Amino acid sequence: MAMRHFSRRKWPGLVIVWIGFAALPARPAPTTDVPAEHARFFETKVRPLLAENCQSCHGEKKQKGGLRLDSPEALAKGGKDGPVIVPGRPAESKLITAVSYHDKDLQMPPDDQLSAAQVDILTQWVSMGAPWGTTAGAQTSSAKVSRKRVITDEDRRFWSFQAPRDVTPPDVADGGWSRNAIDHFVYAKLASEGLSPAPRADKETLVRRACFDLHGLPPTPEEIDQFVKDPAPDAWEKLVDRLLASPRYGERMARPWLDLVRYAESDGYKADAYRPNVWPYRDYVIKSFNDDKPYDRFLQEQLAGDEIAPDDPNVLIGVEFFRNGIYEYNQRDVKKHWQNILDEMTDVTADAFLGLSMGCAKCHDHKFDPILQSDYYRLEAFFAPMLPVQDGVVATTEAKATYDEALKTWQAKTADIRAELERIERPFIEKTANAALIKFPQEIQDIVNKPKAQRTPYEEQIATLATRQLYDKMEAGEAKVTGPEKERHLELVRKLAEFDGIKPKPLQTSLLVTDVGRTPPPTYVPGGPHDKPLDAGYPVVLDRLPLDKPAAEPTAGTTGRRTALAKWLTQPDHPLTTRVAVNRVWQFHFGRGLVGTASDFGRLGDRPSHPELLDYLARSFVRNGWSFKQLHRLIMTSATYQQASNRVMPAEAKSRDPENRLLWKYPARRLDAEQIRDAMLLVSGELKLDGAGGPSVDPANPRRSVYTRVVRNNRDPLLEVFDVPDTFGSAADRNHTTTATQALLMINGDAPLKHAEMFAKRLGALNLPPAQTVATAWRLAYGRAPSQKDLKLATQFLTGSPAHQGSPNAATPVARSIDEKPLVKAMPQLGSQAIYIRNARPDDMLRLPAPIGMPTEDLTVEAYVLLDSIYDDASVRVIASQWDGKNDHAGWSLGVTSAKSKYEPQNLILQLACDAGQAGGGKGGYEVIPSDFRIELHKTYYVAVSMKLRDTTAAGITFYLKDIGDMDAPLKTASVTHTLTAPHNNDRPLIIGGRDGKPAHGWDGLIDEVRVSRKALARGDLLYTDGRPPESALCGHWVFEDQPGIFKDTAGVQRDLVKQITGGRSSSVSAGIDPALVDLCHVLLNSNGFLYVD
Amino acid sequence: MKNNTAIPGLPHHQSPRSRREFLARAGGGFGAVAATYLLNHSALGDTLSKLQAPVADPLNPLAARQPHYAPTARNVIFVFLEGGPSHLDLFDPKPLINQLAGKPAPDSFVGNLITAMGESHSPLLACKRQWARYGQSGLWMSDWIPHHREIADDIAVIRSCVSDGLNHSGGVCQMNTGSILAGRPSLGAWVTYGLGTENQNMPAFCVLTDSNTQVINGPRNWGAGFMPAIYQGTKLNGESPSPISNLMTPASVGDARQHAKLSLLQSLNEEHERSHPDLSELDARIRSYELAFHMQAQAPEAVDLTSESAATRALYGMDEKPTATMGRMCLLARRMVERGVRFVQLYSGAGSKWDAHSHIEKNHTELCAQMDKPVVGLIKDLKSRGLLDDTLVIWGGEFGRTPMSEKGDGRDHNPTGFTMYMAGGGVKGGKTIGATDELGLRAVEDRLHVHDLHATVLHLLGLDHTRLTYFHKGRPERATMNEGEIYRRITTA
Repeated sequence: MAMRHFSRRKWPGLVIVWIGFAALPARPAPTTDVPAEHARFFETKVRPLLAENCQSCHGEKKQKGGLRLDSPEALAKGGKDGPVIVPGRPAESKLITAVSYHDKDLQMPPDDQLSAAQVDILTQWVSMGAPWGTTAGAQTSSAKVSRKRVITDEDRRFWSFQAPRDVTPPDVADGGWSRNAIDHFVYAKLASEGLSPAPRADKETLVRRACFDLHGLPPTPEEIDQFVKDPAPDAWEKLVDRLLASPRYGERMARPWLDLVRYAESDGYKADAYRPNVWPYRDYVIKSFNDDKPYDRFLQEQLAGDEIAPDDPNVLIGVEFFRNGIYEYNQRDVKKHWQNILDEMTDVTADAFLGLSMGCAKCHDHKFDPILQSDYYRLEAFFAPMLPVQDGVVATTEAKATYDEALKTWQAKTADIRAELERIERPFIEKTANAALIKFPQEIQDIVNKPKAQRTPYEEQIATLATRQLYDKMEAGEAKVTGPEKERHLELVRKLAEFDGIKPKPLQTSLLVTDVGRTPPPTYVPGGPHDKPLDAGYPVVLDRLPLDKPAAEPTAGTTGRRTALAKWLTQPDHPLTTRVAVNRVWQFHFGRGLVGTASDFGRLGDRPSHPELLDYLARSFVRNGWSFKQLHRLIMTSATYQQASNRVMPAEAKSRDPENRLLWKYPARRLDAEQIRDAMLLVSGELKLDGAGGPSVDPANPRRSVYTRVVRNNRDPLLEVFDVPDTFGSAADRNHTTTATQALLMINGDAPLKHAEMFAKRLGALNLPPAQTVATAWRLAYGRAPSQKDLKLATQFLTGSPAHQGSPNAATPVARSIDEKPLVKAMPQLGSQAIYIRNARPDDMLRLPAPIGMPTEDLTVEAYVLLDSIYDDASVRVIASQWDGKNDHAGWSLGVTSAKSKYEPQNLILQLACDAGQAGGGKGGYEVIPSDFRIELHKTYYVAVSMKLRDTTAAGITFYLKDIGDMDAPLKTASVTHTLTAPHNNDRPLIIGGRDGKPAHGWDGLIDEVRVSRKALARGDLLYTDGRPPESALCGHWVFEDQPGIFKDTAGVQRDLVKQITGGRSSSVSAGIDPALVDLCHVLLNSNGFLYVD
Repeated sequence: MKNNTAIPGLPHHQSPRSRREFLARAGGGFGAVAATYLLNHSALGDTLSKLQAPVADPLNPLAARQPHYAPTARNVIFVFLEGGPSHLDLFDPKPLINQLAGKPAPDSFVGNLITAMGESHSPLLACKRQWARYGQSGLWMSDWIPHHREIADDIAVIRSCVSDGLNHSGGVCQMNTGSILAGRPSLGAWVTYGLGTENQNMPAFCVLTDSNTQVINGPRNWGAGFMPAIYQGTKLNGESPSPISNLMTPASVGDARQHAKLSLLQSLNEEHERSHPDLSELDARIRSYELAFHMQAQAPEAVDLTSESAATRALYGMDEKPTATMGRMCLLARRMVERGVRFVQLYSGAGSKWDAHSHIEKNHTELCAQMDKPVVGLIKDLKSRGLLDDTLVIWGGEFGRTPMSEKGDGRDHNPTGFTMYMAGGGVKGGKTIGATDELGLRAVEDRLHVHDLHATVLHLLGLDHTRLTYFHKGRPERATMNEGEIYRRITTA
């Protein structure tokens, strides 16, 4: 990755300040009464530490220096030179001096220095007065600190640790009910409990069930007809095949997988930084399902894609799997942070692939399952060599070669400029890096300061994690060049920018992993002995599998451990991998797996309801090449799957199987959150089914939910209220709650109302008589015709409801929720508070109602912005404007173009409408002035335009752009000619984030620090260069901070903003649509018939 | 207190059938039922039944439930001072800091301490406060919180709190959920899960913040983690007549149309239900719309302060600018618990405003002035109305601050020893619990880790933290993550 003009490197020469030792004050003698929490602290923290690190030399067997550390009496007596601790005074306690390694003549333990955390424990203990538990007679204290659990043959006999068996489907006398082998197993079980299966569901029900299952969408009327009217005996099989072949299938199947691997697009901590480059993994998952990639391959790619096929971007991207976890951008306890990251990777692997909940074994041998604490860390050892890669290139070899070629040319032509830039910038960068580095503990600073070659593999990992915080600082632009060379620096930056034309477009990157090298860092049980590192290995209870040792073959740069793990997991007769996978697919179709706890096949987990069927499916899954599509087909073509759901519970079931585990009917289910949103979009005709993948969009965008942004600390309210998982850990299934909050959102919330309007618009356009409108609505929403009763009700509602006479009803207005303050968020990279405008929502915009004294001719508009999306059409994402959008009304608007703009998408433009009739005259008309600066999504920019209206040369209008996230990016300028010269004076309000009038062109994302001046400012006067226009030219400067106030004009001209109040929900579609029809559509979207699938 | 008056025109619906019948008819799908079933049928059922997970009624998962034993508190108000208030300048005087001010802290105190901003070896920052003892009990308080003197005998000051969260995100997460890592249910969610709520027409767990700035970590601080979303907290906008998102009928729709819609919806749902016997969730969903509209009737009344007297408003400081916002939140908190809301959390300084890395004088002077009178007003008001007896008030942040200076005039994060206080709900007031070392850096006596605090809060509510479990991924999860000890002496002198 050589996109920067100098490489990342480490920062030498950091100053170390040694803090002196001050005199210790006297303190009261410790109390002899040991409080419970002290005793606990001793028992859980101190005693094991002494036992494992000290007592081998200072215990029962040996008493070096006459010292024993295994009883309170011995401790009080001390060694040959007297006591080694002074209770309450760690500084005077030799023990602490020794373990701290401060005195080079007294260092204990001599060979294996305690960790900082361990020293800390002992220091705290002495501070507490060195309590020794609550028990007297501490002679027994050197007894075992933990009882060793042993894995027995009985443990190994547990059902899920046995390889799946080849099972022959039982013969059943089912009167021809069975359609395939699955049914034999199900029927036999039902019969044994005196139960019988339900009849087959009708065809409308079946097609709706199949479409929601495989596509996550309701069937279209065409899909319904195609199946219902097909008399062929294999019509159902053809439908299933058709659905499996559609790209919609991968979009649907990806969802449960993404839940399982805790996929999200933000860091999930305080900063919760957006991850703009993880979507390639989401697309990879979708594509893998669509391609019916064999599951063994899919698993291997995610665990070890970098080792299996490092040059194939379609494989390499699989390892992004490991990077979906959370990350804390300012954690100075780097070692603990890294341990947390490794634990998290271990947990998610165990959950997702192994189907064993190993979390308990992190701290102790599992209480219920035969999982040892050492099993946990031996599994973790597979990941322990891992090194995160921040900007991992996912591109083909050809693309990389082309890029390198072009880069070389650019580098050659810019070598001098870059060398000088580096010379100027280096001291500033080092200053920034040093300032960041000294916040870390000394131990971490020392590791970072060590030359790379001298670092151990573990130290390299720690250094990498710590250094990432330094880079983040630099990327945040905190290393700003000041002083005498500031001008020269700007000049060089400008000169470098002249070569942008030949600089290659960056290759696609993502968050990836590799290993720190061929030698793994050692893995230990935390707090356990450090004499011998643990090997990577499999849980003991499973280690009698053929591959009983990790056959890890180091690759060119890695340990090969993850490949070994992936191969072990994908043995065809692995007891867990295939059972877990097929059970997930079963759960996907029936709402519950044959094993109800899909990620826990241990003793606390559920037992399979049909163990033989589970084995049969696992075996045939492998026989069919680990094909998910074959498995879906097998399940869906069974009679079991095709049963009706609306069966009255038989008497036998009441006593024997009230939960329907034996499947005496098909279980009807509420739709998942994404299905609800996608279904509303589909029936309303809004859904955009492009299948193109790519960067994620705001949920206001009518793409499928799988393509919407997943920001951990800020979820879409609709998806959240319908139980999407929190993405902090692996989720094997969804909750299906029913809450009043859901009802409120569905009946009063903006999104469902808008979908109802679009649905009504779609129906209204058909111009059908009421009864036919109702029938069409039913077909779209429920996939069937209305009952006579429903038809009558709904038709009456459309034609005769008194509520709709002369509506909308304005007689009893109800206050809408109008927040006093606008929405705010922290601006990435800047950290300041910015206003947050959600997809041109008028309520989010701010306005200056009386624009007295605003620019009429020359102007400069500046702002910091972050754009989340563009429109699908040619609308403009407006940053600020004083205009109503009508070409014959004077005004101006600064914004960014959208998908269908003839100025190309994401172009920063000034729109100018000038009125020749105004005082001063000049050329009037409407004009777009494009900067040709491309505004990328989710990035923080400083943008500005300055205009000298009467100067129609290129010097007349200058745009400025600075990518705040890229410290190397220059403040770019673009000079553009224009033709209009008449004033643009008008009395429209100034609007931040939008435009007056309809349709509402508006921003989507963040806007911060807007400044408007009545003058074409020179570069040095710009906000970005810390400049200021003359007082007389300053029209307003709004920083949106709580102090002095979000609305306050800090320029002191008292042009305070107000919140845009639209007096009700703005709607561009409601006009002209029958409100009764809108309401009917809204009721349908709220109804149980819509939200449940039979 | 309970308002079951139906909105005129809202169609009436038959209340659901008995729970027993439900269980007999259940088609699966509701986690709690599955868990119950699992407990009774698993091979380990005997072992696990001892764990006694509460059984929520699937049709009314928020129904009030019996605690494990007689509680001393029924409701909780948690005043969360986000960002970490300085215990050293409020409740925990340390003369030694001033004696050694300007010098680095002795190594004996510092040890191998890691701080967020690397200030473990920075010079000690003198405390500029005036200290005195107040109340019959003689609690130490600084001049930053003069109003607190009046409630010195009502509060139990815990000077020995300990957390693992070095930074705000982890600290706030742990104080709310027990873990510095996200993904677990918040304390309020556990309490709601364990006890349900007395008032179905208000959210059981309400959250108010003192500004529009997002609290660190966002809504997951009051989230339900791996439990069903029904137990999560609801953020209220206490400034709006429509305090809950989507509460009110849009003006563009109006009441008449809304009622027509609901009536049609009811009919369609009933017709649908007739063709789906034995799917009890459908009942629950029909009822959820009724609940929503009871909420619509009651929530605006709960936040409408017009019935409160001028004297009450003044008691909370609502008549003065600096205290108006917190005053309003505190008064709302009282009104919530009056109405049976189980758990109320108030955020002072939302968005880490207490985080005084620099200019602690200015920062804490302002924030203390905003918080002092309203919180005291709340406790006094609760007391005078007899509500303090069964309402537990908790005061504190995610950590305290270091005796070491930062940037010359600020203090760094200190999770190894800090102060919180509790009042009411059976807590014995007028006492100081625990102690930090002589620099206030580490808790050394009666250390109460966050898990211990949570265990104690649950205990006061009559919930045994070792028995309040939720099954997740094959593990009986506890709010206290298999740690935590009840500090029983909190209820005794």
